Amino acid sequence: MAPGPDPNSVGDGAKRDEATIKVPSKDPKKKDDKKEEDLSEEDLQLKQNLELYVERVQDPNPELQKAALESMSFESLGYRLTGSEGDIGSWGHEYVRNLAGEIAEEYTVRQGEEASIEDLMDLVQQIVAFHMKHNAETEAVDLLMDVEDLDLLLEHVDRTNFRRTCNYLTSAAKYLPGPDDMLVLDIAYMIYIKFEEYPNALQIALFLDNMQYVKQVFTSCTDLLRKKQFCYMISRHGITFELDPEMVENDVDREMLQDIVNNTKLSEGYLTLARDIEVMEAKTPEDIYKAHLLDGRASSGPSADSARQNLAATFVNAFVNAGFGQDKLMTVPSDSTSGSAGNWLFKNKEHGKTSAAASLGMILLWDVDAGLTHLDKYFHSNDNPIIAGALLGVGIVNCGIKNDCDPALALLGEYIDKEDSSVRIGAIMGLGIAYAGSQNDQIRSSLSPILNDAKAPLDVIAFAALSLGMIYVGSCNEEVAQSIIFALMDRSEAELGEALTRFLPLGLGLLYLGKQQESVEATAEVSKTFNEKIRKYCDMTLLSCAYAGTGNVLKVQDLLAQCGEHLEKGDIHQGPAVLGLAMVAMSEELGLDMAIRSLERVLQYGEQNVRRAVPLALGLLCISNPKVTVMDTLSRLSHDTDSEVAMSAIVSLGLIGAGTNNARIAGMLRNLSSYYYKDASLLFCVRIAQGLVHMGKGLLTLSPFHSERLLLSPTALAGIVTLLHACLDMKSIILGKYHYVLYFLVLAMQPRMMLTVDENLKPISVPVRVGQAVDVVGQAGRPKTITGFQTHSTPVLLAAGERAELATDKYIPLSPILEGFIILKENPDYREE
Amino acid sequence: MLTVSVKWQKKVFEGIEIDPTLPPYVFKAQLYDLTGVPPERQKIMVKGGLLKDDADWSAIGVKDGQKLMMMGTADEIVKAPEKAIVFAEDLPEEEQATHLGYSAGLVNLGNTCYMNSTVQCLKSVPELKSALSNYALTGRSADVDQTSHMLTVATRELFGDLDRSVNAVSPTQFWMILRKKFPQFSQLQNGMHMQQDAEECWTQLLYTLSQSLKAPTSSEDSDAVKALFGVNLRSRVHCQESGEESSETESVYSLKCHISHEVNHLHEGLKHGLKGELEKTSPALGRTALYLKESLIDSLPRYLTVQFVRFFWKRETNQKAKILRKVDYPLELDIFDLCSEELRKKLEAPRQKLRDEEGKKLGLQPKSTSKDSDVKMTDAEASSKESGESSTVTQPEGGSSEKGTLHMTGIYDLVSVLTHKGRSADSGHYVAWVKQESGKWIQYDDSHPSLQREEDITKLSGGGDWHMAYIIMYKARFVSM
Repeated sequence: MAPGPDPNSVGDGAKRDEATIKVPSKDPKKKDDKKEEDLSEEDLQLKQNLELYVERVQDPNPELQKAALESMSFESLGYRLTGSEGDIGSWGHEYVRNLAGEIAEEYTVRQGEEASIEDLMDLVQQIVAFHMKHNAETEAVDLLMDVEDLDLLLEHVDRTNFRRTCNYLTSAAKYLPGPDDMLVLDIAYMIYIKFEEYPNALQIALFLDNMQYVKQVFTSCTDLLRKKQFCYMISRHGITFELDPEMVENDVDREMLQDIVNNTKLSEGYLTLARDIEVMEAKTPEDIYKAHLLDGRASSGPSADSARQNLAATFVNAFVNAGFGQDKLMTVPSDSTSGSAGNWLFKNKEHGKTSAAASLGMILLWDVDAGLTHLDKYFHSNDNPIIAGALLGVGIVNCGIKNDCDPALALLGEYIDKEDSSVRIGAIMGLGIAYAGSQNDQIRSSLSPILNDAKAPLDVIAFAALSLGMIYVGSCNEEVAQSIIFALMDRSEAELGEALTRFLPLGLGLLYLGKQQESVEATAEVSKTFNEKIRKYCDMTLLSCAYAGTGNVLKVQDLLAQCGEHLEKGDIHQGPAVLGLAMVAMSEELGLDMAIRSLERVLQYGEQNVRRAVPLALGLLCISNPKVTVMDTLSRLSHDTDSEVAMSAIVSLGLIGAGTNNARIAGMLRNLSSYYYKDASLLFCVRIAQGLVHMGKGLLTLSPFHSERLLLSPTALAGIVTLLHACLDMKSIILGKYHYVLYFLVLAMQPRMMLTVDENLKPISVPVRVGQAVDVVGQAGRPKTITGFQTHSTPVLLAAGERAELATDKYIPLSPILEGFIILKENPDYREE
Repeated sequence: MLTVSVKWQKKVFEGIEIDPTLPPYVFKAQLYDLTGVPPERQKIMVKGGLLKDDADWSAIGVKDGQKLMMMGTADEIVKAPEKAIVFAEDLPEEEQATHLGYSAGLVNLGNTCYMNSTVQCLKSVPELKSALSNYALTGRSADVDQTSHMLTVATRELFGDLDRSVNAVSPTQFWMILRKKFPQFSQLQNGMHMQQDAEECWTQLLYTLSQSLKAPTSSEDSDAVKALFGVNLRSRVHCQESGEESSETESVYSLKCHISHEVNHLHEGLKHGLKGELEKTSPALGRTALYLKESLIDSLPRYLTVQFVRFFWKRETNQKAKILRKVDYPLELDIFDLCSEELRKKLEAPRQKLRDEEGKKLGLQPKSTSKDSDVKMTDAEASSKESGESSTVTQPEGGSSEKGTLHMTGIYDLVSVLTHKGRSADSGHYVAWVKQESGKWIQYDDSHPSLQREEDITKLSGGGDWHMAYIIMYKARFVSM
């Protein structure tokens, strides 16, 4: 543990750690006492010997000491190496297990001495073979990891045990330090390829972000239908992927598969789900507020239009009706004279009109053709905020969708260098959303010059940096990094104090999202030379982005130490440190729970600027996953005396409940809306949160994780993190005139569905069991993977932590991970009963 | 000659021919025929760029069989509404206040909650406000003393400030004048102004207003305050010993609700309060004797004020002690059986009408009362003449369009409650709970107005240490005939 500079906080934590360690240490002793009584004669003899050795070790005679030590260590290994070479299993499991333990220790000793390990490896071979035959895959993997020779595994896995082996490997990878984790996953990938379990192999290839592996999956597999399933998996991950003739030979087929990768079918699938669940009917913001449940309070609002409340309604309307293609404010057919759609637009003030026009993009999300048709008329407006909104809307509607004609680039490209800042920002942000993760050079060459344009206003530069960060998310692109670094260096002292300046380091950080130390090192060095106003902010952002989703414990500790500092000056870097804590720890369940606990403590002793970020960090950790404990914490904080803590807590309530329709959160927010009915800013936050909770009428999720929580979509995370960074200074950004940063959430919006399609990709309904996922790693046999299930027919919604399994043998799913689009093949062996 | 397909909205137009020698404008004209979208509104997307009218086809590199995408509609372009929308945020502060739906609170100047809550309750009477605003025009008459005049003006100003402001108003001026007029409110304790009895403040303030608002020109009838709050009582004073009986009338501004151990409800308390014993010299017996006084209401006010007699002077502790007993009061009060015989007769017809109207609302057939309705109509007319002041003063502006005049029904709706919390009148805390025109209840706790639920208003009936009603005010329900 790296000792923090502040003795108070860290010391405190350390003490508590000790205390927690002491408690369990008592229990094993007690158990030992009991065990003593049931020892067999043989064991008793062993034990007495051991005690004798221990006694002798303490003997003043050094020679006796040495002998004792040697006989104590690696006894069975010693005999084995010098003795017989017979069947290793003939001595029983316990012997093999013991031997494995001793080999591991001996291995480290010899590594230290740089001695030969050949004899050991012979034994390892035998032991691994034995374990793999006897359902002890986990032990075999453990041993091989200890002796750093996982390749051996490939020889020993077979059809019966490769699944369990790989399952163990992938889950173990989460707890291994780099680069071991990558190595382990590599082996898992190879095993999956070996046994033609391509969907899993693809999953790991995507996790490793190794496009070569992805390609190999395509080239190894010959079945076109299975390839289609791969395409669905890639499309969910949200990366840009170009199929080439090597992967799919036939041009027509390739085009069809590319369409799937490009997400062109997403809107259709989502609407199928919506029709099946019967939620097509558009909802108004009032349907969400449910003011009538608040007995008279604030039921009949003020008679005049409040620009802020209307803006809130615009967002609520956009989030709730996202992707449905219809709503009751923006898309309603205009009547003859004024046009009611126009009416609502003009019920928003100035920059509010930007968000209103852009909301059309959200309502028609993923449906590019219809979206562009609706947005077209706003392009001809003479009102700059409206044009800006139309541009942003084009970006939103194209989010995650790729098209050969590149409509977003064609339409937005022209507006990047317009005079008006708002129009420029609309176009730049639209490009960032539409092309997130695409690494599109054409856009880079048009956006980069803005960064280093001395005449460009700060907000345009900030959004340009952010959009570049999104487009090149996780790419470690040197040129983009250089441009942003120069832009940061060019900023004046005053500009560095502006709220929007935070988007520059953030854009830089996004370039390294999840790429860990090696890649970010050079940039991190450069950031040390920045003006001290932004230096630490930049450091924290780079660190947290680079380790996002890795679960790296050391980095969590580094960040925690930062949060513990009590600063005098108005330093702002602790906010990103708190967010970083969540970003790093969010990847796996144990780390996540520990992070929640740590944050609770940070809340107790942290300074105010730390406390403000804590609710946001909690929101990120449990995004679209309303854990009751976190809900309660946030509910408490939503009444905090510090209004900024309350605001973050309220927005986070929306985030953890995003797309769940969670009744408890909805109730909390409703009460908050009457509690804060006089405070326009807090009420605005409550409204936004209400919109989030009912996002997509409960069909969407914001979770960047998918494929049984293994894969982390970089673009989705980028969208969420951007919003959270903006929320660190709520008053200047979201409550100011940059409220449209809320639309960055669109990057993370995905239907939380399982939709089954037949071989012609037409939806078919089959019975499925949906239940809470059970962790089956390391369990023998064929344990149940879900518990407390209910049987539904597809398409079905999957909540956080839920898993589906087919309840019929009539079909075979082409992917074992039943999420998103699943192609079903008829089971040739199926017999009607 | 190239052949391309163009995707527009959800349609795909296959096999459109392009002559690379002609400018793209020609191509756009072709599309105009197909889609009806004028060329200037067509946006044709080719590989990340828009097709310009004068572009060179060869430079664009369109291939045979390529798919193009077109965006554009013939829709009307959105225009801003001619009448710009006015946002609440842009309104001047005073107009924002009206949009909140209730007026501002009053700053506590140091134990002045008794005064603040009184002012808030009285302010809820719109007729009083209009009477006060007319006062400016008439000015001070000779028979009103200087301080009364000043207090009246200060009241008017304070009411005005409250209506205009969004934030809490500081009633400094009003308080100064109130203390000048009534020096008893200036009592100090430990260098601080003491808490006072809100009832005293209420009574004194109303009395002052009634004095100064009496129109100097016309008769007594135009006493605005009396017309609004005055209750005429006709009492029968009876001496059991001598059998003497006399009758007297008096006018009061509030009814008392006496609280004894058998009183559980406002109605019982009111009845109790209208009966009293007094000792006076009996001319027949030539000595003091015990008389029983039984009062009945002779005319109804537009606003009926009821004071819960919760405080009594406790000799042992030398302070006003409080009766904590729970006395329920309704949101809708019917005082028909407290009225005198004559008044009851007058009320009958309007009450029947009211019942019919309510019945109609509930979907019941009104009973056909053609025969006696004539009789009652005449009755009603008579009553309207007799109780003249109440029905003429009370007719609101909108009433003229309705046929007939408005009549009292003896039924009252709760409009404001002044509560006290604490164990003695000179300590504790006073709060006003006022029903707004919108029907919402607002609690005015000094500078903090907050919304309340209607069912919580009736829970202020005492029986614990929570706020309990001290003075409540009902508004008459009228029926137009």
